[in-house]
Amino acid sequence: MAPIISTKNLCKYYGEEDNITKAVDNVSVKIDKGEFVAIIGPSGSGKSTLMHIIGCLDKPTSGQYFLENKQLAQFSENELAKIRNDQIGFVFQSFNLLPRTSAQKNVELPLVYAKVRAGEREKRAQDLLKKLGLGEKFQSTPAKLSGGQQQRVAIARALVNNPLILLADEPTGNLDTKASFEIMDILKNLNQEGITVVMITHEVDIAKQAKRIISMRDGKIVNDKKVIKNKKNADYGNI
Amino acid sequence: MQITEIFKLAIEAIRVNKLRSVLTSLGIIIGVAAIILLVSIGSGLQNYVTSEFKKLGANSIFILPGKVEISAAGTSAQSVNKLTFALMNKLEQAKSPNIEKVLPFIEIFVTASNKNSSKVTRLVASYSDYFAISGIKTSEGRIYTDSEEKSSKKVAVIGKTIAKDLYKNQSPIGKQISLSKKPFTVIGVFEPQGSVAGVDVDNAVIIPLSAGRNLTGTDLVNQVLVRTTSTENIQEAKKDIEKILLRTLSEDDFTIMTQEQLLSSILQILGVLTLALGGIAAISLVVGGVGISNIMLVSVTERTREIGLRKAVGARPSDILIQFLLEAVILSLVGGAIGLLIGATGSFLISAYIKSSVPLWAIFLGVGFSSLVGIIFGVAPAIRASRLDPIVALRYE
Ligand SMILES: Nc1ncnc2c1ncn2[C@@H]1O[C@H](COP(=O)(O)OP(=O)(O)OP(=O)(O)O)[C@@H](O)[C@H]1O
Ligand SMILES: [Mg+2]
Repeated sequence: MAPIISTKNLCKYYGEEDNITKAVDNVSVKIDKGEFVAIIGPSGSGKSTLMHIIGCLDKPTSGQYFLENKQLAQFSENELAKIRNDQIGFVFQSFNLLPRTSAQKNVELPLVYAKVRAGEREKRAQDLLKKLGLGEKFQSTPAKLSGGQQQRVAIARALVNNPLILLADEPTGNLDTKASFEIMDILKNLNQEGITVVMITHEVDIAKQAKRIISMRDGKIVNDKKVIKNKKNADYGNI
Repeated sequence: MQITEIFKLAIEAIRVNKLRSVLTSLGIIIGVAAIILLVSIGSGLQNYVTSEFKKLGANSIFILPGKVEISAAGTSAQSVNKLTFALMNKLEQAKSPNIEKVLPFIEIFVTASNKNSSKVTRLVASYSDYFAISGIKTSEGRIYTDSEEKSSKKVAVIGKTIAKDLYKNQSPIGKQISLSKKPFTVIGVFEPQGSVAGVDVDNAVIIPLSAGRNLTGTDLVNQVLVRTTSTENIQEAKKDIEKILLRTLSEDDFTIMTQEQLLSSILQILGVLTLALGGIAAISLVVGGVGISNIMLVSVTERTREIGLRKAVGARPSDILIQFLLEAVILSLVGGAIGLLIGATGSFLISAYIKSSVPLWAIFLGVGFSSLVGIIFGVAPAIRASRLDPIVALRYE
């Protein structure tokens, strides 16, 4: 089976020659459909940068990136916007919901840009919110929701366009332990339903709930292993 | 993204920041209100002048002293007045078949007084035909007769303002009035005419021409109105008058203008004036536009994360561009509409004192100009928003 995501010698450099930051350095990685990948690594190791490139929010300095076998190098702004709209769902650490806008409207946002009619938008947003346990909160603005609830709204927003892949950059980073595990349960369930999930995290406990852990350091992948259930002290690289 | 959705977004953004939106639009509101008000005064004046001239009839010719040059650049009158009554008599006695009537009049300012009080007023002295020709009727008493005119009777028809100021609530008919300290008898009060450009037309006294000559002691007329026998021979009549006057006067001593010429010259002056006033007000619209631009730039900076997020979920640069552009246009359009309302209301309120009417083109101009301002000054912030890199925008704190 062809991988959903495949990169070859992917690099992202910042700054000039004498003061260069190699945020992503020669990364070649393949992710298959249905995988649940956790990316771990110290701060500044390039996790977010890699995920932004995968999510078509950023462009690599060099190297190749294939999304479902299509190379993305030559895509225009509008084509990239379309890919972000209907192939990729993004979940951020800081939720990034529109303030003063109801949960439902926040979830509808990608559909608005996909030119989906209002009635259909409403139905899909409400169905997803119900599924994520927010059946009572359609009209609540983010300020009236807990962190965990806000992140669930954000996940609903990421899923509303039935994306190929769900990308989550430290989705539990701003949440307490209980809410973190709730969010992880949701991601695991979604993965069980067949959605490909790539998630960044700092916490080993969280990472271990994925099926595969990729460790990064200084922009390079230093470890890439399947998670073996019930095996204590497995070596997933330096976390 | 559909335009209706973007429209809703823009409305929402404006609604959320009500106070700021109002303050932002204030420049546009003031600008449009000022344009509407000034243009309405100008066009009201034009309408008034036109209707007054129309009342005189198309078969009217004016003789003015000196060489009068009326143009958009202004009015210039040179040389001294050489139009005498003797000349006017000659004009009448020439019995030109084209001329029906010669109506000279004197127009000066005098002090009108009685025992109670005194007031500076406009004095018009003319034949009794003056009333019919200028459409002035009495609301009380009567106008003077031809024989009273011929015999230099010291009688006066006064305006409402004079009547009120000098006689309070009493009827002025039969009462004494001093004009330049000469005693006259009030025989009539003419119907209120209102005011034109802030000048009170009812602050006036109309007396027989002969009595006016005695009062001023001069042999000169300020203005002459000539009625031709028909509208067709107006050019012939003009030539006749010219021929007769040139026997005694030189070409530079008088100006002959048909009603049409005089009206179009005056309208031209008023038109230029209106345009100039409107132009000054338009400057404040530009200032209003700069205000919108400024606030939109602040708004883009403030909403950097929002823009990043929209892009992350699939907004194209053009979606963002239109969203912010539409916001600016709506701000200035709503400002324009409010300004229009204020301007029109203001115009209505002052119409009692200054003739004013809001012409349709001024409404279109106001709305068109304010949306143009919105587009022009909204473009830069909107382009900036649309070009934001989603990653930079999302990382922005
Ligand atoms: N716009 C930028 N300009 C310059 N350097 C940048 C930029 N964005 C990221 N970097 C650098 O690239 C490197 C990788 O950053 P990145 O955000 O990917 O790290 P991370 O692994 O996500 O870290 P964290 O765990 O703290 O989120 C860092 O050294 C960072 O300073
Ligand atoms: Mg990061």
